[in-house]
Amino acid sequence: MNIDINFLGVLIGAIMASSVPLILAASGELITERSGVLNLGVEGMMIIGAISGFALMIITDNLFLAIIGSMLSGLLLSFIFGFLTQSLLTNHVATGLALTIFGIGLSAMIGKDFVGIPGKEFPLLFVNLKEAIPLFGPIFFGHSIVFYFAFLLPFGTNYFLKKTKIGLIVRAVGDSPVSAANQGINVLLVRYCCILYGGAMCGLGGAYLSLIYTPQWIENMTAGRGWIALALVVFATWSPLKVLVGAIIFGGITILQLHMQAMGIRIPVQFLSALPYIMTIVVLVIISRDSRKIKLNTPTSLGQIFYKEK
Amino acid sequence: MNTKLKVSKVSKIYPGCIANDNVSLNFESGKIYALLGENGAGKSTLVKILSGVINPDEGQIFLNNKLLKLTSPKDAKNNNIGMVFQHFNLFETLTVFENLSIDSEKNNNQLRILVNNILKKYNFKIDLDVPILNLSAGQKQKVEIVRCLIRNPKVLIMDEPTSVLTEQETEDLFLSLKKFSKEGILIIYITHKLKEVLSLCDEVAVMRKGKVVSISRTIDEKLSSLANKMIGEKLEKIKKVTSNNLNREEILKVSRLNFNSDDPYEVNLMDINFTLNKGECLGIAGISGNGQNELFQILSGETLSNNGSIKFRSKEISKLNPKERREYLMAFSPEDRISQAAVPSLKIYENVALNNFKTSNFFERGLFNERKIKDHSKKILSNFSINTDNVNLKSQFLSGGNLQKLILGRELITSPELLICFNPTWGLDVGAINYIHQTLIKINEQGKSIILISTDNDELLQLSDRISVINRGKLSKIMSAEEVNPEKLGLLMGGGLVD
Repeated sequence: MNIDINFLGVLIGAIMASSVPLILAASGELITERSGVLNLGVEGMMIIGAISGFALMIITDNLFLAIIGSMLSGLLLSFIFGFLTQSLLTNHVATGLALTIFGIGLSAMIGKDFVGIPGKEFPLLFVNLKEAIPLFGPIFFGHSIVFYFAFLLPFGTNYFLKKTKIGLIVRAVGDSPVSAANQGINVLLVRYCCILYGGAMCGLGGAYLSLIYTPQWIENMTAGRGWIALALVVFATWSPLKVLVGAIIFGGITILQLHMQAMGIRIPVQFLSALPYIMTIVVLVIISRDSRKIKLNTPTSLGQIFYKEK
Repeated sequence: MNTKLKVSKVSKIYPGCIANDNVSLNFESGKIYALLGENGAGKSTLVKILSGVINPDEGQIFLNNKLLKLTSPKDAKNNNIGMVFQHFNLFETLTVFENLSIDSEKNNNQLRILVNNILKKYNFKIDLDVPILNLSAGQKQKVEIVRCLIRNPKVLIMDEPTSVLTEQETEDLFLSLKKFSKEGILIIYITHKLKEVLSLCDEVAVMRKGKVVSISRTIDEKLSSLANKMIGEKLEKIKKVTSNNLNREEILKVSRLNFNSDDPYEVNLMDINFTLNKGECLGIAGISGNGQNELFQILSGETLSNNGSIKFRSKEISKLNPKERREYLMAFSPEDRISQAAVPSLKIYENVALNNFKTSNFFERGLFNERKIKDHSKKILSNFSINTDNVNLKSQFLSGGNLQKLILGRELITSPELLICFNPTWGLDVGAINYIHQTLIKINEQGKSIILISTDNDELLQLSDRISVINRGKLSKIMSAEEVNPEKLGLLMGGGLVD
């Protein structure tokens, strides 16, 4: 078999593009979880981001507004979660699950009138470089701004958590909200901010799907990516760079197995479809085996309800 | 500069309990003040009010005649009130330096210099770049103290600071506190340990049931007078009478036990050998962090040793897990009541059921026999005089003393042959300590054996028949209790040799 070098570049570019929504949602959720909050509503927030982004684009014909709107809608949904879990002290898991179900239902309702409407072309950057450089051109150039943002995000997240004061405070709150409160840190404020940020990133991840990746609205178009993002965070042991690795592996095997199916390789389709899930988990488990690091990275108070003594 | 702190008519009422009842106190810098009382006397509530964690229902606090509004811990900090809590307020997964930098406005370089100066000045030895979870309790406390010192406190409040320290560490702490006091920091020292009050403090206020019952100078007080004020009744001193049963039956034999840990912060155990007879209490002394944790875990089966043997009644048990060891009628009471021995969020009877001896039949065909467990739990509550009869109460609402009684009760009610306990009276008040000591002596008298790993030398000398000291993972020669005195123990704990 003769592999065209340009085809290889296009393939890798496609793999990276397909991992963008996962990177965005998982990076957002990672910050939320690092503050000790377990929000299982990722799928719901993504799909709301997808429909509101698409709807705003159709209505206002302004892509910038659409992107901002999708983030705001994810944020709004996560605010409901934050209010319930942080102010009304409901259970994180149940509330998150409810949020996903709510998001999927709501998006289908809003999206009724938008099914079948073609999307708009999203402006791509450095398109001329894409053709000019073999192999690397199609990998690195000719993508949307959201793409570049997504690939910088894990590095930014890593820097934020490890090097900045606010990142330190987020980790402290995730470690022990009671100690943090006794130190005079406003635990509720920190957690709200982390929840809202996570919501906005999930919204953006959803919008990437409906505005850029496959520019159209299809009901339930996130197709479980929110759950994968959640799993990535856990299996990457709350490390942003490992989330990036996991997202690329997942995206890569998803695309590769589609090509393998198309080539007619004699492996059962079901097995191929399951492959991305299995491989991502296997790889992440292998690269995250250091039990000491796991202990240090895991937010100790994850999912615990915090209330202030009065 | 002189600092005056005044607590005026402070009251705090919780449903069903008056935690602070019209408390008024005056403090002035240059002196060290003791606030003495049993657990539940209201000391911690007062401290939390002073540090802004909780708000009083009534009353005021004045610092240098200025009314303070302490609505959050930040307010206390901004008014230069530093606080070292009994339960550390540290972030376990963050490094020492990160813990210190979290509430400091200084940049990292300045802070590092400042912290290093403080460490040098008071001769604290702490590595700034290791996570807190790798530190011993004594080191954690130093981190807390350093965190206060960074902010140049006018007032430093220490809440039962020595409950986790060894004698040596306690002495070091006292020296530091006296130094701080000389430097003009007003020190309020909360404790239930009478000796400490007499050796450290200038004035003492005694609290009982939320009220201040006495304020006096410590030179006018004696151990007994303070104890009576604190408890409100007379307390008997206990000392074990070593029984000289000639016909001793060997119950446990540990030989050539070694343990090498992968974790660089754990202590390796080297060539541990000892035997334990029926009805005997073997005390293991040592400064915390010298391998006690590892030894307890290996004896209880939480971790397995690399080689060597543990024989219980001549049967090899070194490869068995804790549950299997329990079936041999061994019982364990770990150091950390809250995270190792019990699940605080479970109800009392559920915690009792967690420890399922084969003999107790709590489960029938995999189902929970709630009635049986509850009856059993009630028996523990009454036999071990725990101050509740409600088996449905969540364990987290029990005080430390009552929780420890519950754990011991749970372990003992099935009459085990051997009890291994690690710091069983850690952080408890005099009444509870007394009760637990009596219980331990009683089970020795019933012919049961005890291994008592403890950092409290008084306790060891009171209860043990024989004593060994663990230092850097090695056991010293085993000595009979008569030939040991506190000085000798201290020497061995520090790694010195005694012949």
